[in-house]
Amino acid sequence: MGYRLSYPEADELFRKLSAEYEIYAPKLFEKQGRYSDTDIVRYDRVKRAEEIVWDRKSDFSAKEVVSPITQTIFYFTEDEYRESRTGAKKLLIFLRPCDINAFEHQDKIYLENGGIADVFYQRVRDRVRFVLMECTEGWDTCFCVSMGANRTNDYSAAVRRDENGLLFSVPDPELAPHFAGNREEPFEVRFIEQNDFTVEIPEIPNKDVLNKLKKHPMWQEFNDRCISCGSCTVACSTCTCFTTVDKIYDENAHAGERRRVAASCQVAGFDCMAGGHEFRTTAADRMRYRVLHKVHDYKARFGDFHMCVGCGRCSARCPKFISFPATINKMAAAIKEIVAAERQ
Amino acid sequence: MNQDINIKKLQKNCWRQSKVPGEFMLQMRVPGSMISAKHLERVQYICQTWGNGNFHVGMRHTLNVPGVKYEDIPAVNDYISEYLEEVECDMCDVDMETDAGYPTIGSRNIMACIGNTHCILANYNTQDLARKLEPLVFPSHYHIKMSLSGCPNDCGKGHFNDFGIVGISKMVYHYERCIGCGMCIDACKKHATGVLSFTEDKKIAKDTCCCVGCGECATVCPAGAWTRRPTKFFRVLVGGRTGKQSPRMGKTFLNWVTEDVLLTVIGNWQKFSAWVLDHQPVYMHGGHLIDMAGYDKFKEMMLEGVTLNPEATVAQRILWTETEYRAQINVIPLSEHPKAGPRK
Repeated sequence: MGYRLSYPEADELFRKLSAEYEIYAPKLFEKQGRYSDTDIVRYDRVKRAEEIVWDRKSDFSAKEVVSPITQTIFYFTEDEYRESRTGAKKLLIFLRPCDINAFEHQDKIYLENGGIADVFYQRVRDRVRFVLMECTEGWDTCFCVSMGANRTNDYSAAVRRDENGLLFSVPDPELAPHFAGNREEPFEVRFIEQNDFTVEIPEIPNKDVLNKLKKHPMWQEFNDRCISCGSCTVACSTCTCFTTVDKIYDENAHAGERRRVAASCQVAGFDCMAGGHEFRTTAADRMRYRVLHKVHDYKARFGDFHMCVGCGRCSARCPKFISFPATINKMAAAIKEIVAAERQ
Repeated sequence: MNQDINIKKLQKNCWRQSKVPGEFMLQMRVPGSMISAKHLERVQYICQTWGNGNFHVGMRHTLNVPGVKYEDIPAVNDYISEYLEEVECDMCDVDMETDAGYPTIGSRNIMACIGNTHCILANYNTQDLARKLEPLVFPSHYHIKMSLSGCPNDCGKGHFNDFGIVGISKMVYHYERCIGCGMCIDACKKHATGVLSFTEDKKIAKDTCCCVGCGECATVCPAGAWTRRPTKFFRVLVGGRTGKQSPRMGKTFLNWVTEDVLLTVIGNWQKFSAWVLDHQPVYMHGGHLIDMAGYDKFKEMMLEGVTLNPEATVAQRILWTETEYRAQINVIPLSEHPKAGPRK
């Protein structure tokens, strides 16, 4: 059984929830787009149900709620330091199936990789509850079905928007009491079963093929096309890379703060080591690294799934119209070509 | 061929004398350089029915019909009444008669680059602005050359017009969204004035004095850390001109003015011209009128009744650099100096 809420009723619910929860959802920022008179949709706190953007994919992903682009992790003076504080309220995040699946990968990297749980991630993540935004149509840049990220059961509540307002189902007993008293209406959440774009997910059979793929001419086009701006990785719902930067307070060089700031493997200098050595010096190198990471390396390391969830934000945000799914298809073709040549 | 043609009268009807006796060229205004493509059929019809079959793209973005016979002028004037009605009266809200061709010389069309309906660099909708400016300057026997550019690239070559209007943006830096990649620093250095630099903590510092408001930083930022303020701002260049005697590039008269301010200023041009020419319209470059009155008088009259927005700045004085095709062309007997204002 679900609950039917009109927008005013949903606003009232949001108001009541705010004692215990901060509500985050895709929100419209008018005229803050990359180009003049274009808007942007990104995650931010919402107070009213109507602020939630449904008819457009958010330009940036929900990961920013848990791991913001810039985050102070601790403050220091001479020989002391103090961890930054974080809120006490729970976070209710409105997001789609692909985004929830993306959090699985975020969790894997921040909480499991290397056997150490990242406290700065965990202290926020523990307070997160998902509200699944039903998504049955998608957009032209979506390919979640191909990546197997179109479904999920990991949510406290699910919500559908229709002409009569919002329809919720609330499987989480912690959240359910807040909905009691609203009109009941049957609701079973649906998932998208087909995207406009289908991706052939390639399997790389062995290391020899992988090494040949790395040298394949298919990557060369990105030296002309990719400008290494990093828009794809900032928007990506699964990218987790960050760097640390110390901010020393100008007036007192003995005090300051350490920050975590999002980093991008696509930006030149990302892999620059002490002594100046870099592994990937061209746009093609960096692109190859990203694509293989998302649809090969991650799975090779962790097993179950590819890292990419097919949210398509990388393609949608790319100022040079480089399509990630089209690139995966090109890679699949290249692998076939390599394998066929080996057989001969 | 015995002809008795009042050239001046025809000129004021927007017909330009040809070197071929008895032939004239029509110059049709396209305010803002964009109209519905359906009008092209009309222009083609005029060219092929009454013209010599050719079509010329006017140097000020007019639609030119060369080779029309003197005796066909009334027929063409009759035929273009619909065009005038739709383009001048309906599209631009111009108040004018349309049944006898153009009521005055129309060749000083308000030109505009494509603007932000298409261009990724433009900062405003140039067509919209052109359509608001058109009724302020047309039809009038005091002519003005105006060109609108969407950004400081000035593809509209406002630098060589009486008034060059350049769209600029006040940028907002979202410190917490910045990943410190340096794309904006590079873009600003390469395409603009190089006012951006890294701070010690890998964020961006800006020398606001010299920012030209192009918005390149927002265009290249992968994280949406630079956005444009929703209010549109303009730089107004004055006094630019081509010509045989002393061509020169326009200089900044106003910077960071809003649309309201701009429209009021341009609305003052008629009064200024009438005063300079003592109500005797002459077909002269606006820059010469400014020269005759002197910049201080120009500034005083153009700013009459204008309430400047808080961000606005005004040139205290202007030092044009002219290309003098004859040395000391300006150094002439005092009695030969052009006079501005009331004649005895």
